[in-house]
Amino acid sequence: MAHVSDFLTPADLQKISSLQIVAKQVVEGFCSGMHRSPHKGFSVEFKQHRQYVPGDEIRHIDWRVFGRSDRFYIREYEEETNLRATLLLDLSGSMNYAGASGVTKYQYATRLAACLSYLMVSQQDSVGLVTFDTKIRKYIPPRSRVSHLRVLIDELQRSEPAGETELGDVFHDLVPKLHRRGLLIILSDCFGNVPTLLKALAHFRHAHHEILIFQIWDRDELEFPFKQWTQFESLEQPAHKHLLDPALLREAYLRNLEAFRNELVRGCRRHKIDLVPFTTDQPYADALSAYVSRRRVRG
Amino acid sequence: MTFLNLALLGGLAAFAVPILIHLFHKSRFRVVKWGAMHLLEEVLRTNRRRVKIEQWILLALRAAIPAVLALCMARPIWTGVQQLLGTAKTSTLILLDDSYSMDASRAGTSNFSLARDEAARLLNELPRGSDAQVVLLGQGGATLLDQPTYDLARLTQAVGRVSASAGVARVPAAFDAAAGILGQMHEPSRQIILISDFQRVSFEATEDALLGQTIERLRHLPVAPQITFWDVGGEVRDNVAVESLDFSRLMIGVGQKIQIYATVRNFGEASYPDLRLYFKVDGKEKAVSQVKLGAGERTQVLFSHAFETAGSHVIEVFADADPLKADNSFLATIPVRDKLPVLLINGDPHPDPLKGETDFLEIALQPYGSGGRVELADLIKTTVLSPERLTAQAVAESAVVILANVRKLSDEQVRALEEFVRNGGGLLIFPGNRIDAGWYESALARDGAGLLPMSYGALAGDLKEGGPVTGVVSQRYENPALELFNDPRNGSLAGAQIRMWFRLQELGGAGTRELTTLARLESGDAFLVEKSFGEGRVIACALPCDADWSDLPTRPFYLPLMQRLSVYLASTVFPPRNLDVGKPIVALLNANDAGKSAGLTLPDGTSTELPVVKKGTRGVVEFTRTQQPGLYTLLPPGGSPLHYVVNASRRESDLAKLTATEIADLAKTHGAALVRSGDEFKQLDRSRRFGMEFWRPLLWAVLALLFAEMLLQQRFARAGGRI
Repeated sequence: MAHVSDFLTPADLQKISSLQIVAKQVVEGFCSGMHRSPHKGFSVEFKQHRQYVPGDEIRHIDWRVFGRSDRFYIREYEEETNLRATLLLDLSGSMNYAGASGVTKYQYATRLAACLSYLMVSQQDSVGLVTFDTKIRKYIPPRSRVSHLRVLIDELQRSEPAGETELGDVFHDLVPKLHRRGLLIILSDCFGNVPTLLKALAHFRHAHHEILIFQIWDRDELEFPFKQWTQFESLEQPAHKHLLDPALLREAYLRNLEAFRNELVRGCRRHKIDLVPFTTDQPYADALSAYVSRRRVRG
Repeated sequence: MTFLNLALLGGLAAFAVPILIHLFHKSRFRVVKWGAMHLLEEVLRTNRRRVKIEQWILLALRAAIPAVLALCMARPIWTGVQQLLGTAKTSTLILLDDSYSMDASRAGTSNFSLARDEAARLLNELPRGSDAQVVLLGQGGATLLDQPTYDLARLTQAVGRVSASAGVARVPAAFDAAAGILGQMHEPSRQIILISDFQRVSFEATEDALLGQTIERLRHLPVAPQITFWDVGGEVRDNVAVESLDFSRLMIGVGQKIQIYATVRNFGEASYPDLRLYFKVDGKEKAVSQVKLGAGERTQVLFSHAFETAGSHVIEVFADADPLKADNSFLATIPVRDKLPVLLINGDPHPDPLKGETDFLEIALQPYGSGGRVELADLIKTTVLSPERLTAQAVAESAVVILANVRKLSDEQVRALEEFVRNGGGLLIFPGNRIDAGWYESALARDGAGLLPMSYGALAGDLKEGGPVTGVVSQRYENPALELFNDPRNGSLAGAQIRMWFRLQELGGAGTRELTTLARLESGDAFLVEKSFGEGRVIACALPCDADWSDLPTRPFYLPLMQRLSVYLASTVFPPRNLDVGKPIVALLNANDAGKSAGLTLPDGTSTELPVVKKGTRGVVEFTRTQQPGLYTLLPPGGSPLHYVVNASRRESDLAKLTATEIADLAKTHGAALVRSGDEFKQLDRSRRFGMEFWRPLLWAVLALLFAEMLLQQRFARAGGRI
């Protein structure tokens, strides 16, 4: 059985352990914890008064206020809940690209996913996993038990990227499966049709999910450093091959790349989705720490 | 088009190298399994066609670079239509610099011999049927043959016989002559080749401006010639020249001492610690002087001599220095008289001593009478005549005529005097109480066209006792006749008491420009006025020469003043006998000698007979071919020999050349091609005849292609960004 230490060095684990994720939006949960629930209820922390309406339980009436104002007011409390996160891992063939660093984007994504899983479980948050390519391959619902971490890591190690993908369609299919709103962490290169993807993400947002995208890049894809004649073969569709002098196309490719990224960034900003790019040569633990710190500040 | 290195044309195959490299790279591609294919495919979809075109352009450029380089190395020659003219006949005009600077030599070979050999070779190699002519720069644009010739062998032989002259290179004059000579030539292709040492003095600013104008005229000829400047020989700096001989130009008599200042200049960089200067009189060495002459220095050496016999004498100063001899010696001819005949025309004779108009003057000019020959007294021999006895014959036998208080003369007498002065004679005019001032103005002055410098106007002063008195202004005198009085030891003109005088009035007309006031009276009026008339001179005095109106004759300066005035007026040597190279030798003889012949001995010892031709009232001998510097001795029929000396102009003595850059600029300015050797000329001629080598533009093309390839590669890569 795979162990979390296969993916994280002790130093990495130590670094992440010292961090605490504070969700920007409150997710429903069963356990009280660090994360604030958007549902105003009747827990320990007072939030506000509201006028009594018929149907409210009488025990929630604040009699002191009644004594002073001769009116019925109900005391409302904020509940604290744990985070309910689902990791969405892209298994498309394009994730299998490895540049000079030798690490495929998929490998990088799984390690990142393991980090997040470990972190969340250690905070007693619930974490689930969805792997997908053109359709959903595996769905592990969120749990907060420590033993659940092993299930997740086993699945991460077992899965292999291959074939095509279409994020938009898969995400649309996924929405009904995620009954309770929570944090969706997408680990993908987000290659594909951007408007379709944004439409699907909007679907998630409509279902009140918070979305965090870790966009995984290889540096070759960002810099296109090829000089000599090269035959590019598609990782998703092996029949697609192009022999060309990459130096002549580099500038055009980079412009195209920039347009793609800008479109994605603008769409994510519109839907209040956090889009965080990572490159596979970036120390993933450091990158994760930086992200969590930033999220904490914003929270 | 032809190629000088045809074998290298095989290098054209190198155009295949970039193509092979391209194919090699294309076949040795690497395979990348790529994820972001959707990004790449979109780029390919919009840029595939453009990239393909750009690849072809770059490939073409890369293939062109070695091909053009190979073409360049094969040294192609563009012939075009000129191939037809390759063996075409050419009218060639060679301007050969034979000035004496060309005679300077290095390592035993003179620049001129190099120039001559190149000119001969050039003529030899002209296409058959070409016509040619040679113009000699040092001889004022004289041609070697009378007419341009098709007989190139004859012209080549003539060139072989030419030696450097002693003349000065007149480049604009030679080009000016060339314009006329080209008109006599017949071939449709014409060229002018200037072969010269490009001595700096020959191309000074004024000469260059003239040259520019002349060449501009040549360019507008119906068939404009191609002009080539041929810089021949190297620079020789070492040259010492006797620049000038300065001595008194007044007439001298036998036994009179003359001082000669010889100016010697070292134009070179070598120093002469003990340069010897030899002073010769009539070919015989009389003195030697040793001077130290540093690089670039100039010095003056004094020689003095007294001639023992009358006649024409020749002096020479010779510097024993560098091998360029033309300017190492300077000659001068000096006429020495034992008698200076002065004709006094007495307008107011009187039987009593010292009462006649010319009595004082006669004593002053001949103070020793017929006594022994002492100093200047020997020189002047006076003859006194009354105005009626003044004849053309009497005038012609005199050197100076003095009119003293002459009332008037006949028209014939005036004509005789005019002819006399025009031919170099001297006339001194004293007024008096008997003169007809109106006649003087109308017949002698003639509104400035006559002999009299200024008209005698109103009388000034008063002869009564106690009347106003004036004197001669004491000043520094510039005129040789009066400069004696600049030294107070020789007396002063000031101090004379002048009671009455004529006011000399300026005349209208052009003649006034030739007037010089030699001395003035204290009243402000002119005292002595000189006028040049033809080759002679006239001096008019405001006073009589006797003691009626002044005490001049009793003053100590009277005698030297009258003597100096007479000698000065007699000192004109006409025609001149000290000449520059190229200037004609002219002698005026008696009309009776016309039809006879005079013998002329040239500097090289050869003799020639010259006819005496009648011109006007004189017999004239003329010789124009004075290219050799040195002594020319003319023996008129029945007369004593006359010496003429011809000196090379010292303008050529400074042998400094223009620098190579200056010569190139000069050629560029005047639109001429520049060559420095026979090979360069052959190449130029070949390109003119057969076409032009254009490897240089091809080399530039290679560089341009390299640059374009680099630029386009960057530009194409950037252009790919426009999706």
